[in-house]
Amino acid sequence: MPKYIAKRVFMALLTVLVVACITFFLMHAIPGNPWLSEKTPAPSVIEALNKKYGLDQPLPVQLVKYLGNMLRGDFGASIKMSKNRAVASIIAEKFPVSAKIGAISILWSVIVAVPLGCLSAYKRSTWVDSTLRVVCTIGISMPGFVVATILLLTLAGEGRPFPTMWNVNDVTWRSYVLPCLALGFYPMCYLARQTRTAMLDAINQEYIKTARSKGLKTGKIIFKHALRNALIPVITYLGPQIAFTLCGGFVVEKVFSIPGLGRYFVDSIQARDYPVIMGTTIFLATFIVVMNLIVDLLYKVVDPRINLEKGGN
Amino acid sequence: MAENQNMEAQSEKLLEVKDLHVSFFTPAGEVKAVGGISYELNYGEVMGIVGESGSGKSQEAYAIMGLLQSPGKVIGGSITFEGEDVLAKSREEMTEFRGTRAAMIFQNPMTSLNPVYTVGNQLIEALRTHDKKITKKEAAKRAMEMLELVGINNVDKRMKQYPHEFSGGMRQRVMIAMGLICHPKLLIADEPTTALDVTIQAQILELMKDLQKKTQMGIIFITHNLGVVAEICDKVSVMYAGKIVEQGAVNDIFYHPSHPYTLGLLRSMPRVDADEHERLIPIEGTPVDMLNPPDGCPFAPRCEHCMKICLQKMPPHVEIGEGHKSACWLRVLEKKKDESVGAEGGAEVRESKQKED
Amino acid sequence: MADKKMKKAPLGSLQPDPDIFDWNDLPADDVFEKASGQEKESFIQDRKSVSYWADAWRRLRHNVVAMVAAVVLILIMLFAFVGPMLVPYGYAQTIRGAENLHPWHTSLQDQLRVEEEIQRRKDVLQAAEEEALTAAALPSWEEFKDQYVAEQLAAEAAKQGGKLTRQRENILKAQMANEAGKAYAALKEQAAADKDAVTISTDEETVKKELGIGNRPFGYSRAELERKAAGEKVFPHVFGTDYLGRDRMVRVMIGARVSLIVGVCSALLVLIIGAVYGAISGYAGGVVDTVMQRIVELIYSIPEVLVILLISATLKPFLDDYQNAGKLFSGLVTMLGPNLISMFIAFALLYWVTMSRIVRGQILQLKNQEYVTAARALGAGGGRVIKRHLLPNCIGQIVTTTFLQIPSAIFLESFLSFLGVGVSAPLTSLGSMCSEALAGMYTYPYRLLFPAVILSVMILSLNLFGDGLRDALDPRLKK
Repeated sequence: MPKYIAKRVFMALLTVLVVACITFFLMHAIPGNPWLSEKTPAPSVIEALNKKYGLDQPLPVQLVKYLGNMLRGDFGASIKMSKNRAVASIIAEKFPVSAKIGAISILWSVIVAVPLGCLSAYKRSTWVDSTLRVVCTIGISMPGFVVATILLLTLAGEGRPFPTMWNVNDVTWRSYVLPCLALGFYPMCYLARQTRTAMLDAINQEYIKTARSKGLKTGKIIFKHALRNALIPVITYLGPQIAFTLCGGFVVEKVFSIPGLGRYFVDSIQARDYPVIMGTTIFLATFIVVMNLIVDLLYKVVDPRINLEKGGN
Repeated sequence: MAENQNMEAQSEKLLEVKDLHVSFFTPAGEVKAVGGISYELNYGEVMGIVGESGSGKSQEAYAIMGLLQSPGKVIGGSITFEGEDVLAKSREEMTEFRGTRAAMIFQNPMTSLNPVYTVGNQLIEALRTHDKKITKKEAAKRAMEMLELVGINNVDKRMKQYPHEFSGGMRQRVMIAMGLICHPKLLIADEPTTALDVTIQAQILELMKDLQKKTQMGIIFITHNLGVVAEICDKVSVMYAGKIVEQGAVNDIFYHPSHPYTLGLLRSMPRVDADEHERLIPIEGTPVDMLNPPDGCPFAPRCEHCMKICLQKMPPHVEIGEGHKSACWLRVLEKKKDESVGAEGGAEVRESKQKED
Repeated sequence: MADKKMKKAPLGSLQPDPDIFDWNDLPADDVFEKASGQEKESFIQDRKSVSYWADAWRRLRHNVVAMVAAVVLILIMLFAFVGPMLVPYGYAQTIRGAENLHPWHTSLQDQLRVEEEIQRRKDVLQAAEEEALTAAALPSWEEFKDQYVAEQLAAEAAKQGGKLTRQRENILKAQMANEAGKAYAALKEQAAADKDAVTISTDEETVKKELGIGNRPFGYSRAELERKAAGEKVFPHVFGTDYLGRDRMVRVMIGARVSLIVGVCSALLVLIIGAVYGAISGYAGGVVDTVMQRIVELIYSIPEVLVILLISATLKPFLDDYQNAGKLFSGLVTMLGPNLISMFIAFALLYWVTMSRIVRGQILQLKNQEYVTAARALGAGGGRVIKRHLLPNCIGQIVTTTFLQIPSAIFLESFLSFLGVGVSAPLTSLGSMCSEALAGMYTYPYRLLFPAVILSVMILSLNLFGDGLRDALDPRLKK
């Protein structure tokens, strides 16, 4: 077990390092320098700015310096969008909103998807199953912004229960409903499908026959024996879904005008605000990698067969 | 001994299967998996059911246990267990029935145990599902006793281990322990040794014989391996294409086989005492399409003695000896000759019979 | 034991006991002759063996959902590829005077009627106003202004205590003129209101409703309607036009086309890179395989969307240079834009891992089979047989995975375009059209609905058909 944990942690760290390096080198591979889009300042000014941001030193040195700063929580400062404001503080301010919405979305999607998938598998080939399958297939075919806009058109606005935009000054539980609904819809449908397949697989296994021949009741067979085995492949998909929810948040934040990190990040890409881009990318990537690591460790809780390798039999 | 007294006291049979029909209603049509089989099992007897894949031997066992999955259904016949009609039991009664009155163990020990729960957990579960009052401690104790009974050492440690930490043979022992833990009267073993090494096979068979002597339970042993049958069974039913073609005591089957299929099986087995260059004689032809079984004897196209009538009508069962039946038109012919010719023709018939052997 | 269910009735036997034997019922003797080989042959009904592909095609054909999806897909492809040829407008073509047309219009006659009516009402309002004014006996504008200014000057002078300088007077006069105007307008309004002026609307929409004029389908600009009236054939703007006067339907068609092409190209890219990588990894085995698989693991854990965004942010300057240098493909580069190209690059770098795993798995299977063949020394026949049996398995999975990659790619591309980091103007994609339509969503929902619905239907049909393909090609039983 410790070997397994160590291996996963090592891979996680390596991934973050690779992403950081990729980000860094990409940012610095751009010709010209970041100051060019505005009125070209005088050369002396450019020099001073370069010195201030440490851009006049050789690349590897810059990389090391940047990584060092990163570990201390210093991601540099925004150049364009919020002049001179520390990227770290921007992240600290905007991330909680995105995180809250993301967490609620993933939570409700898992809580709803697993029972639905089980129901669908148990009532296979009945109208319940068919309806659920159709809904879930449609659900994974609709991009997040389509779902979000449909929700807005039908449930938000005058005389309707939910607000059309995120009002920073008046945040109630209602503000969360539509964004979380929109964001969690795709993962819910996807996970429900996976749960159904996994449950059908599990129910067809030999050990279910054994359980039946022991005289166990149907309920116990499904919820004790089949479900736990079915969760194993479903957990595999949980990691990518978390990453998806994070990125899906970009769209939802745009549609609902939520001042979260995702929207800021997308804006920074268009504004070419490099410190923000770099800092946010590395932060988000690290977050995703950490989440994946937690999910990987969850495996061990569910499946005692895991030693060094991931996966089943 | 107490067991003998018990046996004498129970005059009723343990299990009586009469004319059982099982069909699978698939989108392609009705597959008649079991086409009318009958047999009896007494307490303390071991019945072997022999047949190739697709002969329906497993399906009839599932029917007894109530484990038939749709689209399979019992469409005719009766199953009587200790005087009770099994097919008439409700779902509740069947869940109670399974495990306490009859138990089943399966072919592949690698996949028959749930990999995410410990062996102890699964054993205790078997106990507690039928006896709600038993404490966890009590149950654990009985589980450990059972494990020792089936020959597993270090029971304390083993109880807390997961199935993947056991070897194949040990897993099958665990399966047997799980099957017997509620002391059923009937054990159905569906090819329990097929997936195991020969040496382990021998151990498991020894174990089963041992346990059977101790508990006097009836065993139905399903296999396609005649060697195993010779080792452990008292009675044998030979199945082909969903029908029993020959039935009798184990010695009768092996020394006086009276159906071409049984003969074919025996001839195709490699034997230790055979001559060096003696060829194995396989059975020609391919198994029957169960979707559209033709009229007549299902073995007919593969039989070297096939007659016209064999292609038209299914032969009835003919008594050949005490408890020894065979469903073959050849035997019908003999009997006819016997009856009509009387004692004089007896010698001729015995001669022709010897020629066939 | 409580009996929760009814006891089932005992099943009777289907046949009379086969052990009962009626000697009198025996068939005639000749039936006991030995059967010939021919008779035995005819006994056996052979099931026709079907080739793998024929079987798969049959399964697919019978899958209603997949067939419907296929038809829808064909329709969408016609819409996307043939459509723009039928519509005489270009996707980047701006039509003057035809900005912001709705997908409906009012006919020329009706428009004239409305204009007349509005004019009439304006006249009525004007008359009523004048009547009110005369009744109120208001002074004329000139009189009022002079009076007002004089009052204000006097008040100002009083404040200053004495006469004002000429300069000051002029300044004040200029200021006052404005205020006078406002005061006068207020008076007029007051008067009109007092006189219970008729409240009639001169708003276009209300007038139309009151006149009972309905809308006709398709959008036309005024100029186009006039041309139509003159006898010219003008193609309607079925979905209306956007703020630059570009026909929406053509843009939706082009958007769909871009999405489909991007999807297919991404899938092919993933297939080629993944298959090559997987094949090499599987075939080489040993250390090479292990190293390559470690790399795969690493790539698998990198968050892809972030990298795409990153690359697109950095690529623009390079591509600008490239475009300007006029080298090979620079036209293509210009058209696609830096974001799409970075998307393709990201696909080439990151998305092929799943495909490589599948191909590697198949190669490993193939390898094992080949060893067995070599061991048995079957000769040329064996290899060919194996290819005939193993290849369907390989190809089935590969085809399905590749096909299902298409909707994934389209999904991703629309996501990026919606955020603004997808296709670049003037090229459009369904995602960017949705993004543009977001602002006016409540007043004109149709602008959002058309591209969104077509996008969803496209992805849905691709998914459904892909599922059908998988069910048909997978030799295992359907779930």
